[in-house]
Amino acid sequence: MNRRHLSIACVLLFCFVFFMDDCAVAEKGTGILYKARDVAKSNINKAIIKSFADITEEEEYYIGRAVAANILSKYSVYNNQAVTQYINYVGNSVVFYSERPEIYAGYHFLILDVEEVNAFAAPGGFVFITKGLLKRCQDEEMLACVLAHEVGHICANHGLKSIKKSHLTEAFRLIGMQAVKKYGTQELTKLTGIFENVLGDIMKTLVERGYDRKYEYEADKLAVRIAVNTGYSPSGLKDFLETMVDDSSDVSGKGWFKTHPKANDRIARVKNEISNIKTTPLKDSVRTKRFLQSIKTIQ
Amino acid sequence: MKKYSKFIPLLCGILILFTFLMADTFIVKVRTTNLRIEPKFYAKTLVFLQNGEKLEKIGARDGWLKVKTTKGIEGWIHLSAVEEKKFSLTAINQPLKTQATAGEVALAAKAFDKNVEEAYMKKHPQISFAQVDKMLKIKISPAQMKIFLKRGKLGEFGREK
Repeated sequence: MNRRHLSIACVLLFCFVFFMDDCAVAEKGTGILYKARDVAKSNINKAIIKSFADITEEEEYYIGRAVAANILSKYSVYNNQAVTQYINYVGNSVVFYSERPEIYAGYHFLILDVEEVNAFAAPGGFVFITKGLLKRCQDEEMLACVLAHEVGHICANHGLKSIKKSHLTEAFRLIGMQAVKKYGTQELTKLTGIFENVLGDIMKTLVERGYDRKYEYEADKLAVRIAVNTGYSPSGLKDFLETMVDDSSDVSGKGWFKTHPKANDRIARVKNEISNIKTTPLKDSVRTKRFLQSIKTIQ
Repeated sequence: MKKYSKFIPLLCGILILFTFLMADTFIVKVRTTNLRIEPKFYAKTLVFLQNGEKLEKIGARDGWLKVKTTKGIEGWIHLSAVEEKKFSLTAINQPLKTQATAGEVALAAKAFDKNVEEAYMKKHPQISFAQVDKMLKIKISPAQMKIFLKRGKLGEFGREK
């Protein structure tokens, strides 16, 4: 290759690098990862076909915030800083060993001041457990497994999957048409309406109807794996579910049975899942001791 | 035309080389995260990273990436905090404006963001976000988490049973 060829090659390389760097622009500080320029109609159609998988981390966070606000408008927060801190320690321990340890604004755990036994996981890392559920736990393993189950729902995007596809299609069509332009008042009103529908879908699933059975079983499966990876005995999940068998009391019947499959079905599956694991950690008295110490102020 | 045909293999070579180079660029997709000294969540923080920061991959281990920041700082980040910088060879022959993916469209137009949240809050004043903001303030440092795991014999501090 002579000098002339080399010069042409260098110019080509320079042009190519410059062009490619412009293709996917990461704009630091603006919150926009990729800046779409003008989008051709064919690409908009492609966008419409896709579903919850197209929801970005940031959008998931805003959906999760609003779901959390709705949950907190139905339930009061149990204000006990020490216990709240403790469940955040346990929660973040299982998060570290889950499939999705990093999420847009991190995972946060809160206790709801109600005797009903229940737990909710909103998209974006917002996890709620009731005081009644915490009282039902007898050791850290049980608590960790319940939290791992909720983290499993978030990892597997079960909340986002409960959004009706038609609502997402509507959103993607609208934003697709407004890809570069900042949307105006009319678009904002429409998007807010779609946002309400999206929240309605998730709230209905979380609080009223419950997830599909297959999602509950999947979250149990994930909880077993997360618990083992963290170093907790996965039997904590089985032990917790056993406390729910044939429990027809008002406190547990109110929420849990309405939104979860029968405890016996889940126990059988959890046992089976545990039996497939070669070595599982055992319960440790150190953890049980700190659990009892941490929750002793709960009334 | 014949004159330029000798450049075709060269151009192909550049394309292939660039594809490999692009595969090693990652972008922070979470709001903020830490670049850590070792591949552990409780490891010491070298620097805080912001959403959208570009990182160059220099190694990988068990779901963690060893990366270099644009300022040349090397450290570890978990795979779930980043996404690979996307690049499509098929897009080369098309004008720039047809290259956005569905995700990019969503991001550019921001379907659900602060503006939508504010509009929602105005419409539903009975739904308070104050407790949500308070919940987001619950923070545990990596050092505190390390102590908790260690005392509870969890993670790598656990014993084989």
